[in-house]
Amino acid sequence: MHEIISDKSWEELGKYPIQTEFDIVKVRQTVRNYAKENGMGIVEQTRITTAVSELFRNMYNYANGGEVLIERGEVEGHIALIVTCIDRGPGIPDIEMAMADGYSSGMGMGYGLPGAKRLVDKFEIYSVINKGTIVRVMKWR
Amino acid sequence: MEEQIKFENAAKRIEHIEDVLSSVAAGDLEVRVESDIEDDLTGIEEAINILIDDLTYELKQSKKIKEELEEKLKKIQEQQKTILQQQEDLLELSSPVTKVWDNILILPVIGTLDSQRTQIMMENLLQKIVETGCTNAILDITGVPTVDTQVANHLLKTVTAARLLGADCIISGISPAIAQTIVHLGIDLSAIRTKATLQDAMLFAMKKNNQLVNGKIQVNKIEPEETDK
Amino acid sequence: MNIDFQERKIPIIKIRDFLIVSIQVDMHDKMAVQLQSQILHEIERTGAKGVLIDISVLEMVDSFIGRMLSGMASMASIMDAAVVIVGMQPAVAITLVELGLEMPGINTALNMERGMELLEKMVKDSL
Repeated sequence: MHEIISDKSWEELGKYPIQTEFDIVKVRQTVRNYAKENGMGIVEQTRITTAVSELFRNMYNYANGGEVLIERGEVEGHIALIVTCIDRGPGIPDIEMAMADGYSSGMGMGYGLPGAKRLVDKFEIYSVINKGTIVRVMKWR
Repeated sequence: MEEQIKFENAAKRIEHIEDVLSSVAAGDLEVRVESDIEDDLTGIEEAINILIDDLTYELKQSKKIKEELEEKLKKIQEQQKTILQQQEDLLELSSPVTKVWDNILILPVIGTLDSQRTQIMMENLLQKIVETGCTNAILDITGVPTVDTQVANHLLKTVTAARLLGADCIISGISPAIAQTIVHLGIDLSAIRTKATLQDAMLFAMKKNNQLVNGKIQVNKIEPEETDK
Repeated sequence: MNIDFQERKIPIIKIRDFLIVSIQVDMHDKMAVQLQSQILHEIERTGAKGVLIDISVLEMVDSFIGRMLSGMASMASIMDAAVVIVGMQPAVAITLVELGLEMPGINTALNMERGMELLEKMVKDSL
């Protein structure tokens, strides 16, 4: 599994599991609160909250749940909110296809990734078949 | 005959010179070599004093220049701040949304429409729609020089978002040149209502609001359109 | 908005021929699906011709909730009931558009008042 290395200067705000549907709601509200604290306006808060909701749902529906790491730190000159979703699910066979608009694998997973990418400032994804997937998004404005 | 160099109190005076030089090296520029004897060593003593004078002068100049530069830097930083603020203001001002009639908003779009401006424009428009309760908005693009696929997408995005709030948008100010570009680029604007002029758009909106019946203006009567869209 | 984890049902009120649903909580997926069934059930039970869904309190509509709403509109229309969604917040609208979510067949209105007007017109037109 590709290791995503957090910048040592980043501050960890919390680590949360996504195991139930309630977790999806709870953790996305937590993300919104952190976004608010980070000074983001309503529209930006809504963007990041919606983006992570898509990611959490993917983890819950396709990967049997996972973990969310929320950090704050400097990225490209901005103080960013960084949300990393880690799961040990089946992985994504064709990332390029999954990131193309309109891709859908049965239950509409297609809306998740490309849409989420549009809503954030930085989007990273690493996936290994049968090992898992890591999606990291960052937002600062 | 060899010249004899005669110093009186040589050892003492040389020691004094060394002291003065050390002091200068340590940063004290007030010291000077003192001597009341006129002989061959006096030349060096005086030369050292002149050196210290020159050094003092040079340092003062250099300090003055440094201060001036810092002043200038501060001024430039303040100007930069002002410019940034003005840019922000300009962005805000460049997309003013005005209620021009009952239930009709106008948004004149002036200049190039990039994603940042689209952002602000969309937020302004949607905010105004909620504030005023107007469900008709005219986006006048007379002031937009070119419409390419990007700009068309930005406009489409704005119109779609307004639709989700329950407001209809009309795009006016489409010049023949823009119309040609749009068709050539294969941009599909069929989901958006367009009018050539602001006037046409106004008339359309007023008719839709039942504010213009048989060529007469009706005031305070806002009903949704009766005819098919 | 409170985090309400009880399986509380979202209240559905009937006014004349219409149902009014006011979504006040951040719904988890199961709740959203339940609401969908609930509304269709009520349409059948009451013979309502129109449904007004008020989302003015919702701070977020993601792809699941979006698809639930547009799905419900389609299902309701098969049962001959019109659906109008009112009060979408600007931030939500912007995010939905950027998400790229197409919601075919949903009708929207700015607020309750206009929503009712639209419903009445739609019902009248379909008669």
